[in-house]
Amino acid sequence: MNRPATPHGDLRGLDLALIALPVAALPHVWHQPPWITALVVLAIATRAWLLATGRAAPSLAVMSVLAVIAGGLTLAQFGTVFGQEAGTALLLVMIAFKLLETRNRRDIVIALFLGYFVVVTTYFFDQSILIAAYSLLATGLLTAALIQVHAGRFIPRRHLARQAGAMLLHALPFMLILFFVFPRIEGPLWGDPQREESARTGLSGELNPGDIASLLQDESTALRVEFDDDVPPLRAQYWRALVMTDFDGRRWSADENRSVIDLPVADDDDRVVHYTATLEPTRARYLPVLDYPSALPEDADLRANYQVLRDRRITSRIQYSAAADLVSAPGAGEAALDPQERGRALHLPTSAAPRARAEVALWRATHGDDDRAIIQEALRRFASEPYRYTLQPPRLQDDTTDRFLFETQAGYCEHYASAFAVLMRAAGIPARVVTGYQGGAWQTRGEYLRLRNADAHAWNEVWLDGEGWVRVDPTAAIAPERIEQGLAGLASDTGEEIPGFLRRGEGLSWLQRARFGLEDWGDFVRFRWESWVLAFDPERQRELFARLGLDAQDWRSVLIALGVGFGGLALLAFAWVWLRRPRLRRSPADRLLQRLSRRIARHDRGLARQPHEPVDAWTRRVRQARPDLAEPLAAFAGVYNHQRFAPLSPDQRSDDLDRLRSLLQQVPRGKPPTTKPQAGRA
Amino acid sequence: MRPDSVTQPGPARRRARLRDDAIRWITRRHAQDGEQARLGRDRIYILPTRAGYTLLGIILVMLLGSINYSNNMAFLLTFLLVGIGHNAMWYTHRNLLGLQVSTLPVPPVFAGQPVALPLRLTETAGRAREAVVLRIGGNATAPFPVPARGTHSARLDLPGLARGIYRLPRQRLDTRYPLGILEAWSWLTLNPEIVVYPAPIDPGAATGGTGEDDPHTRDRREGDAPDQIRPYRPGDPPGRIVWKAFARSGKLYVREAAGGQGDRLWLEWDAMPATDTETRLSMLCHQVLAAHSEGRTYGLRLPDQTLDPAQGVTQRDHCLQALARFRADVVELDPEPAT
Repeated sequence: MNRPATPHGDLRGLDLALIALPVAALPHVWHQPPWITALVVLAIATRAWLLATGRAAPSLAVMSVLAVIAGGLTLAQFGTVFGQEAGTALLLVMIAFKLLETRNRRDIVIALFLGYFVVVTTYFFDQSILIAAYSLLATGLLTAALIQVHAGRFIPRRHLARQAGAMLLHALPFMLILFFVFPRIEGPLWGDPQREESARTGLSGELNPGDIASLLQDESTALRVEFDDDVPPLRAQYWRALVMTDFDGRRWSADENRSVIDLPVADDDDRVVHYTATLEPTRARYLPVLDYPSALPEDADLRANYQVLRDRRITSRIQYSAAADLVSAPGAGEAALDPQERGRALHLPTSAAPRARAEVALWRATHGDDDRAIIQEALRRFASEPYRYTLQPPRLQDDTTDRFLFETQAGYCEHYASAFAVLMRAAGIPARVVTGYQGGAWQTRGEYLRLRNADAHAWNEVWLDGEGWVRVDPTAAIAPERIEQGLAGLASDTGEEIPGFLRRGEGLSWLQRARFGLEDWGDFVRFRWESWVLAFDPERQRELFARLGLDAQDWRSVLIALGVGFGGLALLAFAWVWLRRPRLRRSPADRLLQRLSRRIARHDRGLARQPHEPVDAWTRRVRQARPDLAEPLAAFAGVYNHQRFAPLSPDQRSDDLDRLRSLLQQVPRGKPPTTKPQAGRA
Repeated sequence: MRPDSVTQPGPARRRARLRDDAIRWITRRHAQDGEQARLGRDRIYILPTRAGYTLLGIILVMLLGSINYSNNMAFLLTFLLVGIGHNAMWYTHRNLLGLQVSTLPVPPVFAGQPVALPLRLTETAGRAREAVVLRIGGNATAPFPVPARGTHSARLDLPGLARGIYRLPRQRLDTRYPLGILEAWSWLTLNPEIVVYPAPIDPGAATGGTGEDDPHTRDRREGDAPDQIRPYRPGDPPGRIVWKAFARSGKLYVREAAGGQGDRLWLEWDAMPATDTETRLSMLCHQVLAAHSEGRTYGLRLPDQTLDPAQGVTQRDHCLQALARFRADVVELDPEPAT
């Protein structure tokens, strides 16, 4: 009945909402069709104009027509109104219309609530730390608008900012506790979110030396590794991902269906390297692990071909801890290879690589049974003949192995690894191709190893009885610097064909140097954000709980963690409030007076001394209601005033206090007598 | 006597009564407030509003999405909102905590006129308060702020009442600040007395007479002698001061109707041309006002009470009070449920 009289009384805060919501929606501009942006901008601009000129919102009929049109457009654009992009588009359009038709406070509040939803949909497309900071700004603005809507009067912007900021700040501890403690389960609950994820680069399950490897031009990060203790030398770091045994004359392919085998027991702890890796999504199941794996995360297995597979595809960034024994090759100490495995590792299509076979036959004639000599012969061939290492080799036709070995003689790791394996198999030595990562850049800031997709590498393993699968890297023969220093080592050789990001050696201008320095910083921040925040998953949560002696899958543990977390928080809040409480310094006599008042008020609340009441007046009032206490109360008032107003020595003062104390004791704690003999006695 | 209660249909009435009983039961441990109430922790209640449940739903959807897409940033934002929502409880509660509400004497009104209930809110904790609303039944003040360590004077308008003496029903002080997702409230039992005078009815107009010649007012003038001038005595109505005399002499004189002390007007219950109590009271009320505005000396005779003749504001108020209280019990207003 007493609504504010101002014409826009109910729309207070709409102006802020008209700022906060576009800010929240801004990151979507890059991910939505332009007409959505145009529509939203138009609707908000119209509303702002209506507000500024004091006009009413469009009628319900107009809004209905507009809503149907927008829904139809969305449907036409995406073919659906569900899913990430279509859903987000619809949400944005809905909010714009909600703002346009805003009639009362409730409409603004709904639009602002949906604004929070808009912020969260941003993360479908972008999860960088920049977006996180931006989200805080957007959330703060939305909250400020909500506060203004409910304030009932105009609140100065600075005050509003402080209030919203404080609300956000106070919510941060809750956010952190819940983030770590809230029970995480492995998604998805419905649908197949990975299908909607945009294509990711990663190692392919097949290797075809004839194709151009775009991967080697890709400077995006594939894997980041932190070592627990010492960092093994770069040349010893082979990160195996895929093991390819099957060859059809042109193409090597990996087999994901090999049986699971037990991890070898590392007999010498000194050789074991512990590390934690953060892997970008590959949409495949392989896990790159440092040669040779001796400990793996729970959700991954070692397969018979020494390939590590996770139990499901990697659709989002994951983090895993593992350990490696740098020395013990697979099958070391075994006298012979399993016959079936041996057959597979020797298989060569009959028509494949005739010239190579002829060449190898000559080596056999020279060296007899000496497998090692054959290997050396092959490596010597790569090192001495006019072979060269290039990331832009000529295309290969017909028989790729022969073409490469005898004609083009130019290629990168895949060519050399493939050709070497063919040569070995032709010589009767079991051989296979391993792909993974090698090299990488050591980030001194943050102390981690950063492996880019361009650091992908292919090498070989050959079986030697008694020694097991021995690693041979033919690329090391042709381009040792590639192995010693990583890809960047090639820069001094052939500048033209090395991607720009690799030319980080000498001859850089200060601008380029600054760019690379900045880039390193950026990667460091990104990495920390990704490894500490984005990589937190059920596995990490289990580890965190285990470190606290709790079990993440036991609801009692979760309750304990929540209780301890929030209990601690409450304690902190309480301590803060308690320490900041307004303190009254009372004199000893005042404290006695307070105790007396409390004692009397216990029987009758109304008899408590009011702050404004002089002691005399109060005792007189109490004496009327409690004649039984007349004597001590009168005496108390007298002594109180004496010590309060008379000029006294400290001794006299303490005497007074003693008397007050004894008078206080004369007032009983219990209930007053219920009978009324007092009247007669008085 | 309860004009606001007759409009309610049966079931709504029953619900209101049930609700009233429930609130009475909840607040049974609180003492009556009297003129002043301080909102301590023991009497502030808080529950989510409809908007609060809406936000809760949105947060749940966000949580499901976060789980489905294993999106840690979505988890972070969801939990940030949980934190904000949780803290809103604290903020909203503190927006009322420690406030002191006191009633000031309610200015009497005539029957049917809206009652303006003056209140004072005092803040002592050093925190500015925003958007506090005081409600009685379906009537509410506009949301008002209370400055830190300051006071705010609020006024709650209640609809017009019939003649009589009333006590306020339970009041409700509430706030949804800052986010509107929670409402904190406290029930108050401040009980200032509301005095409602009868609505004046001109007895002359009621009987079709002209007033002056009306037999019921025949005793209004007891003599036709010209006015006399006498020195001013404290309490004389300012309208009767002879300003010309003051300008000449610098002393205050008042004009007095001829007859002096004998010029007394008796307003008689029995003389009113009506049979029912309320109409008679209304007519007497009119007569009191008329006599007062003319500066007359008048007395009031009611069946159970007689007020001796006097003049001035005090006399008027005494008479009006007597009329308001005539055979009237104190009525506690109906605590109509808040809408």
